[in-house]
Amino acid sequence: MAEILQLVIAGLATGAIYALAAIGFTLLWQTSQTINFAQGEFVMLPAFFALVAMNWLGGPFWLSCLVAILVSILLLGMVFKLIVVDPMLKQGVLPLVISTIALGLLLREGAKDFYSAEAQPFPYIFPDRQISVLGVQLSLSQIGVLLIALAVIAALQLFLSRTRTGRQMQATAQNPTVARILGVPVERMIMYTFIINAALAAMASLLISPIYLAKFSNGEHLGLAAFVAAIVGGFNQVRGAIAGGLLVGVIDNLAAAYVSTGYRQSVPLILLVLFILFRPQGLLGRREERAV
Amino acid sequence: MSDSILQLDAVVGGYGKMTILNGTTTSIRRGRITTVIGPNGAGKSTMFKAIFGLLPLRSGRILFEGRDVTGHTPRMMLDAGVCYVPQGRNIFPELSVRHNLELGAVALKDQSGLPDRVAAMLKGFPILAEKADSQASTLSGGQQKLLEVARGLLLDPKLILIDEPSIGLSPLMVQEVFGILKALRGKGVTILLIEQNAKQALQMSDYGLVLELGQTRIEDTAANIRADPRIAQLFLGGGLQPIR
Ligand SMILES: Nc1ncnc2c1ncn2[C@@H]1O[C@H](COP(=O)(O)OP(=O)(O)OP(=O)(O)O)[C@@H](O)[C@H]1O
Ligand SMILES: [Mg+2]
Repeated sequence: MAEILQLVIAGLATGAIYALAAIGFTLLWQTSQTINFAQGEFVMLPAFFALVAMNWLGGPFWLSCLVAILVSILLLGMVFKLIVVDPMLKQGVLPLVISTIALGLLLREGAKDFYSAEAQPFPYIFPDRQISVLGVQLSLSQIGVLLIALAVIAALQLFLSRTRTGRQMQATAQNPTVARILGVPVERMIMYTFIINAALAAMASLLISPIYLAKFSNGEHLGLAAFVAAIVGGFNQVRGAIAGGLLVGVIDNLAAAYVSTGYRQSVPLILLVLFILFRPQGLLGRREERAV
Repeated sequence: MSDSILQLDAVVGGYGKMTILNGTTTSIRRGRITTVIGPNGAGKSTMFKAIFGLLPLRSGRILFEGRDVTGHTPRMMLDAGVCYVPQGRNIFPELSVRHNLELGAVALKDQSGLPDRVAAMLKGFPILAEKADSQASTLSGGQQKLLEVARGLLLDPKLILIDEPSIGLSPLMVQEVFGILKALRGKGVTILLIEQNAKQALQMSDYGLVLELGQTRIEDTAANIRADPRIAQLFLGGGLQPIR
């Protein structure tokens, strides 16, 4: 029982990180029909920004993390939108998809050649200690990761639902044509979603790299997990992406423990197939319905 | 006689290589209800998109209150005092009714007056007030249309472009929506309406505009258009709405 609890907590912690990436994925899809196949690399890369700031430029850890988030917002948010998405989307969704796949490869090889092909240790934000709660040994760092990720998600939800800008972003996601008719600055709202996506990816990167180590190839699994979490969640709802992320994280941890670590990578894929077969609208999703 | 609030002058435009508006020319009277009728695909909805800045013109001009508004963005049209309620469902299903309404005032310069405006608008639409904090998707089709109209009115527009509001509504709801339009006319608002339900719409309209192949065929008073045998044959009796 205690072991299961530990595995579930660990699963929720990684799941909350997947959820961060999946939310960004969903937001980009909603506001700009961008399916970002480089999303996994967007989560892999910010840890390297932090490593460069820390190991090459000698910055303290916290400052390096901040730098990583800001550089991510600039490069993986704004520059990505202006240089890759805007020109490609004019050609259609397929050229954009292919471009993001190419971008993913470029980022992966770039991290390998530019920094290192070896897995890099990454500092824990919380001390890597065990604490005992009611006789169950729990990892402090996992609980910390879970709490930070959930706090980020809660803050985002509050922003989206409680502020006028947040609601204009939701309006843009739910029906861009009507949003424009009402005078919502749709282009700016879309830019905000790219910025938020990059910030979420950077947060996910800083939280997951202590666990997985920072490695150029991490994007493969992360991208797949985020993609599956978004699909499982219905692809058109932030809430769904959260639920999907947590589910993928927990199942993937339980499977690693009780089945085999070798199968861990395939868990998201199996989940994906099951959902596409039996519940294509996702956990909380509704079918797409749009007018105009 | 009332003066003209909106003029289209030889407007040409379309989608890609396809030309839909073929030199559309018309003049819309201020403070009146004008109904646009015409066969499917005549370019009625396209005309509204062109007026509201959603469709770039290839040539021609659009004047609103005597000012050239050709090439204006939707936001600029809102600022000028025009609102547009498109065909179909145009609410944000996952936002509350209140927040849907509030989004009608994005273009409002002074946002501090927003809560009062929303409250006043809800007073005028009791059905919406009742459901103000429910998700808009829980409204019936007719209630959603009312929400769209209320949302459009939040900026006190001078001209309302409303595209087939009666589609899919119960006869009672159609009466309600038409009643609102008549009340607005009473307050001096100009209404440009597209309707399949031409007979009923022309009954409450002052003027009618017949569009065919992207060109104005007939512009006249609603009464004359209703009496025109060509119209009766072409549109009023043309299968869709048999005369009873
Ligand atoms: N976004 C679009 N892209 C390409 N073609 C379009 C688009 N919207 C409309 N059309 C075409 O333009 C023509 C005119 O369409 P429009 O919607 O203006 O007609 P309408 O007079 O409003 O007809 P209806 O009574 O069916 O609403 C039609 O042939 C339609 O298929
Ligand atoms: Mg139409």
